[in-house]
Amino acid sequence: MSPVEESATDFERNARTVLEESVQRIDARTRSRLNQARHAALEAAVAPRRGWWHGFTLMPAAGAAAAALLVAVTLWHREPAGELPVLAAQSASVEDMDLLTDSEGLDLMEGGDGSFYEWAAAQAENGASDS
Amino acid sequence: MPPALPGDVDLTDSSAQSRSRALNQFLASVELRAFKIAQAGLRHEDDALDAVQDAMLQLARAYADRPAEEWKPLFYRILENRIRDMQRRRTVRGRVIAWLPHRGEDEDEEPDPIAQAPSPEPQPVKRLELDEAMEALEKALGELPRRQQQAFLLRTLEGMDVAETAAAMGCSQGSVKTHYFRALQALRAQLGELYL
Repeated sequence: MSPVEESATDFERNARTVLEESVQRIDARTRSRLNQARHAALEAAVAPRRGWWHGFTLMPAAGAAAAALLVAVTLWHREPAGELPVLAAQSASVEDMDLLTDSEGLDLMEGGDGSFYEWAAAQAENGASDS
Repeated sequence: MPPALPGDVDLTDSSAQSRSRALNQFLASVELRAFKIAQAGLRHEDDALDAVQDAMLQLARAYADRPAEEWKPLFYRILENRIRDMQRRRTVRGRVIAWLPHRGEDEDEEPDPIAQAPSPEPQPVKRLELDEAMEALEKALGELPRRQQQAFLLRTLEGMDVAETAAAMGCSQGSVKTHYFRALQALRAQLGELYL
């Protein structure tokens, strides 16, 4: 008997019994998923760690993607005459880069919360038509 | 990877393979109780699974080299941080969703037949008593402040002593005693002295 159990009251012992029973009743699907999670964690632990230089190997690809994005955003957001087109495109692309690099934004996308983006797009369109 | 058996962790062999086996044994020995603790905090099965999975990954990646006797408090510390993060994100998400038009939740989802499958269970009369006690305890636990809930579950379900619980909760042993005592008082008040 552990020190915790020795000094435990009947109430604590009963609570422990009930909690342990609830653990025993965890269904097969959950047990299987926990088992998979454990193995994934162990694989991550034994996988060779990447060095700090690893990030640089991805820089050409990331740079190309960023350049393509910048060009696309510049073409998409052609402003009417009277404004400085380069500055307008730059500010738009910076905003878009913020959105793309924001991990919370990615989390929302992963969560399948597409309706938020539909709403945001509708708001932007309304704002544009109002002005 | 050999099948994991809950039990003591072998600390004598420092080879990577032995370390991995020890970590496997440790995680296998805590995963079910960790899931129940996460479920009590998050009240959502998938979120609880995600929290446990994240805690396992972080422990394996960042702390596998630490002495095995430190794993348990570290693991529960990570798990608690993850639960808190998820609770905060849920609050923010709730605020965002409150602004959106209503959408029926999971209307098209069929019930998962595997999830519906019964687990091995005790005899009917005993089972009924346990069902009622379990339901009452889970409800009462759900109403406790998070720190009290955590102290109670780590001490009662995980069997951690005060020092281990303090390390897992990131507070002093005195605070653990206070949280645990208040949790006991609240649960007794709700459930009675001997509710089983």
